[in-house]
Amino acid sequence: MAVKAGGFKRRSGASSDIPSSSMADIAFLLLIFFMVTTVFRREKKREIDWVSAEATRKIDEKRKNILHLWIDNVGQVWINDQAIADEDIARVVRPIYAQNREIVIAVRGDRDVPYSKINTITKQLQAAGAVRVTFATRLEQRLQRPRR
Amino acid sequence: MPILSRKQRVSDEIPTASMADIAFLLLVFFLTTTVFNEEKGLPIVLPEEKEEQEVSAKNILFLIVQPDGSVTVRRGESEQEQIVAYRQVEGILRQELAANENLIAAIKTDPSAAYRHMINVLDEVKKAGAERISLQMVGE
Repeated sequence: MAVKAGGFKRRSGASSDIPSSSMADIAFLLLIFFMVTTVFRREKKREIDWVSAEATRKIDEKRKNILHLWIDNVGQVWINDQAIADEDIARVVRPIYAQNREIVIAVRGDRDVPYSKINTITKQLQAAGAVRVTFATRLEQRLQRPRR
Repeated sequence: MPILSRKQRVSDEIPTASMADIAFLLLVFFLTTTVFNEEKGLPIVLPEEKEEQEVSAKNILFLIVQPDGSVTVRRGESEQEQIVAYRQVEGILRQELAANENLIAAIKTDPSAAYRHMINVLDEVKKAGAERISLQMVGE
């Protein structure tokens, strides 16, 4: 059976344009994805002077497993936007730990807080059983030192 | 001029050509305003309550953080003390760890010392690669 006209006559009918009619759908899909995955901060950001350390590491933990414990420059402790007296920390943390055993306490302390405060807090956290603690720091880069 | 002779030809469809532009604009807006706040810090695992262990004195290196930020180094056995700046702690600890890999770095901080001094020392200890770290307070 002969191919009609040698198979060369007909031009391909395919369009060379990028199909743009579905572009809006793609964009909206991406938009919805980002809107759904965005987690809004639940707590107010507190103004503290951060401590910095060169050994700062990224904490590889899900956001829901991290509990922030703020210590502001006057030594007031805040958990979930609530001011908490030093001796009540264990009482507040214990139910949170009971709900989620994976919890990591990120201690965000002001750099000038006296250490006795930190010691009280770590004692309270031990009493609550939450022993995984991170001292939240900013990455420090010392330029005068060669990188190892 | 006859007024009503020409019918107006207005399309009754929503213009979809610019829809992609609108969507991408929103997308870019959300992308640029999203702040990924990374959790960064120095992780440490505290001992369980009432599980403090006795360790032999020769495996402890005390790093006593003074209120002014200087560090007093005391090897567990000896009474000999050495006052250094915190930047030197990493080097000292590296040497000690090379000699004894079971060494525990005990950071003993003065109650009135600022938090940042203790973090500076903890940073040095972490950089030296110490795995066994103990946090204590002077006078306990």
